[in-house]
Amino acid sequence: MTDTRARSAGRRTSTVWYRNIRVRRAIAQVVAVIGVITLGWWLFSNLVTNLNRLNINTDFGFLGRPTQFQIPYDEGFNPRSSVWSMVLVGVKNTFLAGSFGIILATVTGIVVGVSRLSSNWLVARIATLFVETLRNIPPLVVIIFFGFALFTFGPFPIITEADQYSFFGSDHNVLILSNTVWGIPSLIAEDGAGIFWIGVLFGFVAAGLVARWRTGVFDRTGRAHHRVILALGTFAILAFTGYLVAGDAYSLSWPALGESGRRIVGGLQLNWGFIAVTIGLGLYTASHIAEIIRGSILAVPKGQSEAANAIALSSFQRYRFVVLPQSLRIAVPPIINQYLNLMKNTSLGVAVAYAEITSLTLTSIGNGRPAPQSIVVLMGVYLAFSLTISFVLNAYNRRIQLVER
Amino acid sequence: MTGRPFMEPGLEEPILVIDEGRRDKLPPGKWVRRHLFNSWHNTLVTVLLVLLLGYAAYRFGLFLFVNGRWSPVRRNLTLFMVGRYPREELWRIVAQVVIWSGTIGLAWGVAIAGASFRASQTGVAYREDPLLTKVRRYWGLLGLLLLLLLLTESFGPLILALVAIGVGALLQVIGKRVPGQYADLMWAAVGVLAVGGYQIVSGFHGRGWIWMATPLALGAVRLVGRIAWTDPRRERLMQLGVVAGVFGIGYVAYSMLDLEGVGWDHWEGLHLNLIVATVAIVLAFPLGLLLALARRSSLPALRVMATSYIELIRGVPLISLLLMAQFFIGFFLNTTTPLSALTRAIAAFTLFTAAYIAEIVRGGLQSVPKGQIEAGQSVGLSPFRVTRSIVLPQALRAVIPAMVGQFIALFKDTSLLSIIGMAEILQVRALVHAQAEFRGFGIAETLVFVMLAFWAFSFTMSRESQRLERKLGIGER
Repeated sequence: MTDTRARSAGRRTSTVWYRNIRVRRAIAQVVAVIGVITLGWWLFSNLVTNLNRLNINTDFGFLGRPTQFQIPYDEGFNPRSSVWSMVLVGVKNTFLAGSFGIILATVTGIVVGVSRLSSNWLVARIATLFVETLRNIPPLVVIIFFGFALFTFGPFPIITEADQYSFFGSDHNVLILSNTVWGIPSLIAEDGAGIFWIGVLFGFVAAGLVARWRTGVFDRTGRAHHRVILALGTFAILAFTGYLVAGDAYSLSWPALGESGRRIVGGLQLNWGFIAVTIGLGLYTASHIAEIIRGSILAVPKGQSEAANAIALSSFQRYRFVVLPQSLRIAVPPIINQYLNLMKNTSLGVAVAYAEITSLTLTSIGNGRPAPQSIVVLMGVYLAFSLTISFVLNAYNRRIQLVER
Repeated sequence: MTGRPFMEPGLEEPILVIDEGRRDKLPPGKWVRRHLFNSWHNTLVTVLLVLLLGYAAYRFGLFLFVNGRWSPVRRNLTLFMVGRYPREELWRIVAQVVIWSGTIGLAWGVAIAGASFRASQTGVAYREDPLLTKVRRYWGLLGLLLLLLLLTESFGPLILALVAIGVGALLQVIGKRVPGQYADLMWAAVGVLAVGGYQIVSGFHGRGWIWMATPLALGAVRLVGRIAWTDPRRERLMQLGVVAGVFGIGYVAYSMLDLEGVGWDHWEGLHLNLIVATVAIVLAFPLGLLLALARRSSLPALRVMATSYIELIRGVPLISLLLMAQFFIGFFLNTTTPLSALTRAIAAFTLFTAAYIAEIVRGGLQSVPKGQIEAGQSVGLSPFRVTRSIVLPQALRAVIPAMVGQFIALFKDTSLLSIIGMAEILQVRALVHAQAEFRGFGIAETLVFVMLAFWAFSFTMSRESQRLERKLGIGER
């Protein structure tokens, strides 16, 4: 008995070494890494050979030299500004179009997505028409379409005869519309802005603490937590205190037609490329977000709503505590993915001459800046942004994922 | 929400299809009251929307039929379809349309034969959709075709459309009649036809033999497997010999024939959009599959490399990759002769799409229950066999709709070729408006036409992917 057991235990170690799973795993990985490194080295050595052969220099010194071109609709930028400052302008414009587009896409997407489930047949059909039309046309074409529909063939007059709108009895313009630039009022930071933002920061932190405290109370005692209203209240009070302490944090700037009548001064000037990109991408992305919203609401099992009805929750409570939390868990990751797509799609601003980072890079390559380095900078900008967002998204996903075994 | 039960072939239980709008059969008066005027605010919304819709329809109708200046579109239809492709070689594209129509018909027929075979095995009667249902299903594409035929000024396109549809229908009937055990040979024939349709334009020369020999070799291997006298111990050897033989014959045949075609630098218009999307997804699929497997692998080195590639590509917009391809992808290669612009663009599309396909396939891999893998291991299958015979069939079946979605996205993305100056359909507009008579004339009309072309293809395909999703029962269990 003991003899056989000892013998079989002895046999276990006698596997041939190349059948050992750990050896095999190590070999597979080493082979893969060597393969990739060889490929990379081959590509890199070709690059070096070709660059030497063609006498192309690879330094990034051009970033500090002047651009020698003008960015349209940007007064603060002149041909002597450096390429680096051009990159910053491009990043700023990318973010501007992206964030306005995200707001438009979210609002429209939620409205349309809920409308597709409306009990009113006509509303549901029009929402379907919106979704099926927009999401089946390339975003590039959508942007060009809005550029044409609003500006080239749009209803607005040329800048010298721009429509100016103001409140009754006020001599400030609220809105100026022309076929190239629109003007809206804007806020201008004064000396106290820094103090105001410190107040906002304090408010934010305090609101978070209040929310945690109320959640703790709720978890321990089961009493109503009111954490949203209390946290928002704390934030509002602190931010307002900051505003009062700062004195003049912000002042309003009103748009007006300039001396020559050829441009708008003051306020925030929205040029046509910006509007075409924002509206085009906003609506295009909205059609995708609408589908996500609709799908996520439909994905909550019917039994959940019925259970909520069975314990006599009101229609609001049913949505707030039963349906929405479950559908949001499904909807949030793909919606953030859509935001990412929208941000990357702002690069299509090239087609309507909007001065975001891609079209500025293209212009600067056209002006004789070295293409490889310019494109590396361009990709770096997008990568830095996307990787940050996707890191956050992955962390969130891990938190909410249901774990199987 | 009420549903309409219907039977899909191969499924025992009826699927409940949620279908808003056309659900319960009510008399018109009652229907209108329930779906449009069931409360005061719904009445208000309905009335407002009817007014708005009426006005929009009026303006749009005016644009379509009265104000629209459609002559730039009507006079340049060939330009929109194939761009500046040499006109004396146009017969190649005509042949290509007919062959590919036949390919689609054959594939469709073989698929139906397979479905009805499976249905008969599970004991469910297979019911083919009536013609009217098919017409309704593909109305987007059929509408575009009809519109094109109405816009043309000659009978050539009409004859082409009729011949293509006829050949497609004929081959579909043939495909349906072929007995189930020859299905894999039929799929090989589909492959040969598809490659042939491509090479009738590009020419039967150069390295084209690799593409043509692949489906031929697959078919031949299957054929060898059927021959009774094959010794099972020598089967591998036989197969190897057959593959080598087919490839050898292909190589010799192509180098002897050497029929030059029209190189793809001359391919333009809508033709280019479709070709680039198809070629890129075909090339990207194997790469994406490997990346997905590597990313799910338990070997950390593979995982890290695959993940970094996928995240890097997904983090940048496609246009930056296209610019890279245009400006300096050639520097990475060991050639002094520059690659053609289209080759570089397709390389960028392929590298880009592979990352997205990898993520799709990864989703499919994750959807395979762990128990399946464990079951495979418990019957003693090697890791390779578990992946090939158990995981991949289930995973790939689950990702078909998402792959169609990716193809649609890719097709839409081909519009970006216009930014790097290639004459795909959007850029053809620039050619049209460079003609003296259409300078600044009918700009909106040509744009609407291009939108319609993109829309018809994407819409039909997205409908089809939704149907597939229901049919495959994804998300049903």
